[in-house]
Amino acid sequence: MIKTPIDHINIHDKRFCITYPLDDVTLYTSIQKMGIIQPVMLLNVSPFVPVTGFKRLEIACQLGLKEIPSIAVDITEQEALLFAIHDNIQRSLNLIEKAHAIERMLHIGFSVTEINETMEILGLQPHEKVMKTLIAVASAEEPLKHFIVMHNLSMKIVNYLTRFEVNERASIIDLLSSVHVTESTIREILEVMNLLKIKQDKLPFDTLNPESGHELMKQLKAMTYPILTSLHQQLQDLQQASALPPNIDIKVDPFFEKEYIDIGIRARNQEDINQALEKLRRLNDDGILGRIFDLTKGNLR
Amino acid sequence: MISQKVTFVEARGNIVRDCPGTKNHICCGYKTIDLVEGCILSCSYCILKSYINSPDIKINKDYEYIFSQLSEAIDKEKNHVLRFGTGELSDSLALDRRYGLNRPLVQFFGEKKKALLELKSKWAYIDHLREYLNPYTIISFSLSPQSIINKEEKRTSPLYRRLKAAKRAQDTGCFVGLHFDPIIIYPGFEKDYEYLIHDIGSILDLKRIIWVSLGLLRFPPRLFDEFMEKGRKNLLFGEFIRGEDGKYRYIKAERIKVYTMLYNQLKNRQNDLFVYLCMERSDVWKTVTGIALDDNEGLIKLFDKRIHDIYGGIL
Repeated sequence: MIKTPIDHINIHDKRFCITYPLDDVTLYTSIQKMGIIQPVMLLNVSPFVPVTGFKRLEIACQLGLKEIPSIAVDITEQEALLFAIHDNIQRSLNLIEKAHAIERMLHIGFSVTEINETMEILGLQPHEKVMKTLIAVASAEEPLKHFIVMHNLSMKIVNYLTRFEVNERASIIDLLSSVHVTESTIREILEVMNLLKIKQDKLPFDTLNPESGHELMKQLKAMTYPILTSLHQQLQDLQQASALPPNIDIKVDPFFEKEYIDIGIRARNQEDINQALEKLRRLNDDGILGRIFDLTKGNLR
Repeated sequence: MISQKVTFVEARGNIVRDCPGTKNHICCGYKTIDLVEGCILSCSYCILKSYINSPDIKINKDYEYIFSQLSEAIDKEKNHVLRFGTGELSDSLALDRRYGLNRPLVQFFGEKKKALLELKSKWAYIDHLREYLNPYTIISFSLSPQSIINKEEKRTSPLYRRLKAAKRAQDTGCFVGLHFDPIIIYPGFEKDYEYLIHDIGSILDLKRIIWVSLGLLRFPPRLFDEFMEKGRKNLLFGEFIRGEDGKYRYIKAERIKVYTMLYNQLKNRQNDLFVYLCMERSDVWKTVTGIALDDNEGLIKLFDKRIHDIYGGIL
């Protein structure tokens, strides 16, 4: 191990960098207190090219350090990248880092077999579709990468995100950042947005003004599924008008597909049954049950 | 040009089967003959993509085996006239000119004289079969507006060729079937279907159309993901729900609206045209056609009556 002056290192050369993000508050504090303990690996060319230790180098620059403990190695580019990947593999890599690894391998000229092997080691399915998504993500804009890591998004959700244009993604990220959303809500919202974009060619960001993730989903569904939304609204109105006691439950197929409805009565005695039947008879006479049946037959008012 | 690999396979198991049908949907009781598995036409919405694992085409030419299964099914059936088709796992005519697959079947049904064979296709070439055709073979074409053929059925014959081929089949003495399946809801589809029905009325002899099926687009979830990924606007334009069988289909209100529109237009052209809904719920049947069907048996009886009205006592 030697100490290498930082100005002898090409710190802008990131061809072996897979780490994301490079900011690390804990490491910063540690280096500030103890200095750099673990040497970085450098490719022995002039100027030196970093192979591992990008976070340490970044922090060293931020702290104004003049030199850094290092090990210079004489290896090929491909070996250097594999060193970089396997140096990081001991920790759990996020999706962006996995994307960086695969994209760099492709760029440096690894064979498909070698890339597929690495994908498997990284816990990725070695499919062309997955690779396409990873490459798109590796070169994506910074806010998208940040959003993916912050929410620890799955490959499926990331795949949805890559189907949007850069400006659409920025608006989506703004929108989703303004409300509290879980990963499953993000998936649901992106799926509906994707469908809406296909149907209408553009996304109606100016008409969306949600106060919560649930509200956003509701607004999007009303645009994507207008008939179903209207049927649900009508059903809700009828249920309110019927003022059902808690021991009677009328269940309708959520997609209004089944021709029948289920009516449940919870009874403790005969009197409960009589009262429930009387209530149902009145609802039937008033036409409320008939109107619910109409909804199941696709009759929109 | 055929890009897929074609292999001849040994017949095994049940080659002649009942149409799988769908839970709580009325099925017409069709019988399928798995003569060919796989299709060269590659329509964008094709459900075979999720049924068949291999992209290759498998052909079963063990006719003795197929005939024995057909005979058994036909002889066992005492109450209904059976209808068989080869269009379940493939297009019935797309490979026929090259491999001559249908001729033995056409001849078998012509000799048997107890059941009907339907050759259902989007490939408008029947000239090689014309001299063998007999009244027990129905030549059928799936029909879509040309704009859908251009975008979603790129390798198939144009609409006018399909209609002309159907006319040629009628001219040889055959009855023809027409299948509006899948019907796709897209911007302006109403007008396109109106023109399509107009074209049918001008080119074909409506009295020699044995049946017309209406089936709106439906597909398994795997295809929904594929349509989303490929941004298939035409296929995703309507409002879809998940049916009881897990498949995506248009919401019932839309289905009723579209079926009613097409049913009325077809009936206005020819009042006694036999129009049926493919895999629909009984309440949709009732609203669209006024016909109350409780189960598959009800529809099968309608087919029996239709066949009896056309063929009289010869079947």
